Amino acid sequence: MRQPRPSRRLVMAGLLACLAGTAVAGWSQPVATSGGGGAQNAPRRIISLVPALTEMLFAIGAGPQVVAVSSYDTYPAEAATRPRVGALLDPDVERVLSLTPDLVAIYGSQSDLRRQLERAAIPVYEYRHAALPDILLTIRDLGRVTGHAAGAEAVAAGIERDLAAVRARVGTRTPLRTVLVFGREPNALRNIYASGGLGFLHDMLVAAGGVNVFADLKQQSVQATTELLLTRAPDVILEVREGPAYSSAQVTQAVADWSRLASVPAVKNGRVHVVSGAGLVVPGPRVAGAVARLARALHPGAFTP
Amino acid sequence: MTTGVRRRMWTVLPLCAAGAVAAVVIAPTVGSTSISLTRAFDTSIPWADNVDAQIFFVARLPRVLAAAVVGATLAASGVVLQALLRNPLATPFTLGVSAGAALGAMIVIAAGLDVGALGVSTVPMASFAGSMGATAIVYWLARSQRRGLSTNVLLLAGVTLNAFFSALIMFVQYLADFTQSFRTLRWLMGDLDVGSYGPLVAAAPFVLLSFAVFAVLPRTLNLLTLGSDVAAARGVDVARAERLAFVSASLATGAAVSLAGPIGFIGIVVPHLVRLLVGADHRVVLPASAFFGAAFLIGCDLVSRTALAPLELPVGIVTAMIGGPFFLWQLVRHS
Amino acid sequence: MLRATDLGFAYDARQPVLAGVSLEVRAGALVGVLGPNGSGKTTLLRLLAGIRRPTSGTVTLDGRPLHGYSRRALAARMAVVPQETHLAFDYSVMEMVLMGRHPHLGVFEVEGPADLAVARDALAATSVAHLENRDFATLSGGEKQRVVIAAALAQATDVLLLDEPTSSLDLGAQLDIAQLLVDLNTTRGVTVVVSTHDLALASGICRELVLLRQGRVQAAGATAEVLTAEQVRALYDVDADVHVHPVTGHLSVVPLRRAAR
Repeated sequence: MRQPRPSRRLVMAGLLACLAGTAVAGWSQPVATSGGGGAQNAPRRIISLVPALTEMLFAIGAGPQVVAVSSYDTYPAEAATRPRVGALLDPDVERVLSLTPDLVAIYGSQSDLRRQLERAAIPVYEYRHAALPDILLTIRDLGRVTGHAAGAEAVAAGIERDLAAVRARVGTRTPLRTVLVFGREPNALRNIYASGGLGFLHDMLVAAGGVNVFADLKQQSVQATTELLLTRAPDVILEVREGPAYSSAQVTQAVADWSRLASVPAVKNGRVHVVSGAGLVVPGPRVAGAVARLARALHPGAFTP
Repeated sequence: MTTGVRRRMWTVLPLCAAGAVAAVVIAPTVGSTSISLTRAFDTSIPWADNVDAQIFFVARLPRVLAAAVVGATLAASGVVLQALLRNPLATPFTLGVSAGAALGAMIVIAAGLDVGALGVSTVPMASFAGSMGATAIVYWLARSQRRGLSTNVLLLAGVTLNAFFSALIMFVQYLADFTQSFRTLRWLMGDLDVGSYGPLVAAAPFVLLSFAVFAVLPRTLNLLTLGSDVAAARGVDVARAERLAFVSASLATGAAVSLAGPIGFIGIVVPHLVRLLVGADHRVVLPASAFFGAAFLIGCDLVSRTALAPLELPVGIVTAMIGGPFFLWQLVRHS
Repeated sequence: MLRATDLGFAYDARQPVLAGVSLEVRAGALVGVLGPNGSGKTTLLRLLAGIRRPTSGTVTLDGRPLHGYSRRALAARMAVVPQETHLAFDYSVMEMVLMGRHPHLGVFEVEGPADLAVARDALAATSVAHLENRDFATLSGGEKQRVVIAAALAQATDVLLLDEPTSSLDLGAQLDIAQLLVDLNTTRGVTVVVSTHDLALASGICRELVLLRQGRVQAAGATAEVLTAEQVRALYDVDADVHVHPVTGHLSVVPLRRAAR
């Protein structure tokens, strides 16, 4: 199925792809190979297989140079108009080559693809998914590589500003012990996946004024059992749902699912929140907005004007 | 002087039953978090404040009961299928039931239909439907007007269906995205954390029905294993008995798999162990395997939730790590 | 007592296994069904025992068609000893023999002292009482066959149907089984129908013979009348010398050469 998917799934895909393959490499810097840098040899035909990088490219002003995107790209709207060339597991190499790119952004784990592109002497930008600070580094690096350094700086500075604004609002509040749930079985408390102490979800939670109850578990994703949740007794349960926004009925149902764990402070005090929408778990330019939304859910009092 | 089987029924079975009951009673008290039993059972503490009670009654007890039900069901189904196919290496999954269940679950997950209805996730229902579909196909292939179920064709049909469904599963996985593949993979490893009593109640009618049939089968199974001619000559309605055995074992396995995913090795390790200890008479082996299977899976679940605390090891991995070496050891012993 | 009338059986209409088979087994008889491999002996035995239904014709027991009896009622009257017994599971000898008591037990009934006594008696009759607690799988071929016969005996039936009981046994064991069948017939009054392709067994113990060739009865009657050189040639395409053996007093068939075509 190569038609576009609801973005919730595609970014879940990205998240879990990283969990499966790049946990160790998670902290390394994004790497660019030869080519790029300087307006005169700036790439003119860029292909991106990584949705987060696609968003960054369009945000820093390199949108006109982007000639093809991944199967899962839907943001910004302009990106959705570009032809698609596959994604992490199924890159369409022939299509990529036929579009004669001069820069291809790929995942760090796509080593086969990288070798093929190197054989064709096409510069490669390798993306390794990492933590929140790395998003800013990647944006700036992309700006350098694509000749949009000024645009990149503006975007990065904007994100830093917005994050600082959030920090100003919630910084004085006591951080709340939170579990950040990004997936579970519908209507049931089974197969609950929550953020562990590593990765950008964890960083987002911290930036939003929360303390991760699973901070001691040094991995990006934790399958939380009911016993574990009862033991850790979080003060807030934050469910992040990437994709179409939830209707109020859906939110009520989601919150009601948790009522079984009656002794958890979050349930007792009515602090089970669902944050739904697009762009919530993309490690890209929209991260500040996502952090702000998480912060509003955690510390609503800090956002009353 | 009483016959050997009567003696064994009176000594072995109560022992196995006691073991299963003990496992059910003790297992919820043990886990990765230590809880205070006195607090858990202290009714003066309001429910919402009693963490120990919640851990005991919400997190652990449903899980232990699910382990008991699934363990007993898979072990008993294993015994019945081994008798039906006259082969001690048959498992509840030999005839395509688990492949059907996996395909059902995978299709629902990949098609995005897993939204749940009436407060229940559709994945268990889809996996049950898939397992019953596979059962129906195998049954239809193997039945013949003259002779009832041909067990040779049954075996071949089941193995072929397993292979075919596995190919379909790979195809669906290829089309699905990473999340969905991961979810299915995780489901395939088995998960007893049912989280509530609802799934148990939903599975109960099918399990009880199957066990009601299991209750009348044992002596017939003994005779079936001698060969269909001899069994028929001794008064067994072979076609009907084979049908009953096949359908009840498939129904039970389908219910167990819809509850906790396809947990392997129980259906073959437990009957084998039990036969080593009590002989081959199904009147002892079938109930003993059910009790032993319950205790065994409760034990495996205990390992799965404490070995890597606070994280969990999928229970299917635990049963495989015990079952695999067990069979290697048996192979070496007998060669 | 047991009568087959115009029996026919076919899995597939083009190749009937049996056609037009009629025979009668009187109470107390020791009948042999003699024929080469593929003549339909096993199928005939199955039809006589009521394990399969014929495609045409009827089998009656005491005048009633077999399908008029319940399975358990039939099992209380007729027992079958198959050609070979391959067990997938390790039953003990006693367990094997006690399984013969199935038709006499209720659904949830467990064998009692009376059943145990019948089983022990059957084991004694087949001279394998000393093997009671052994695993069936560890016995020799002859011992296994005797245990299986004991199990059929424990079924306490009037009729015993055996399918090639000596075909996989060595000489000594063959003689033992042959003697056992004669004893069961003469001292216990069991009606015995035994299918075989072994001429020595047929001529040695059977008082009556049914010669079966390609699914049809070639001849039937007292052994002395039926077992002639012409019948042997027709049945096996073999020239043989048939004479009364000076020592045993039974007919003895000595094959000479393949018959000229």
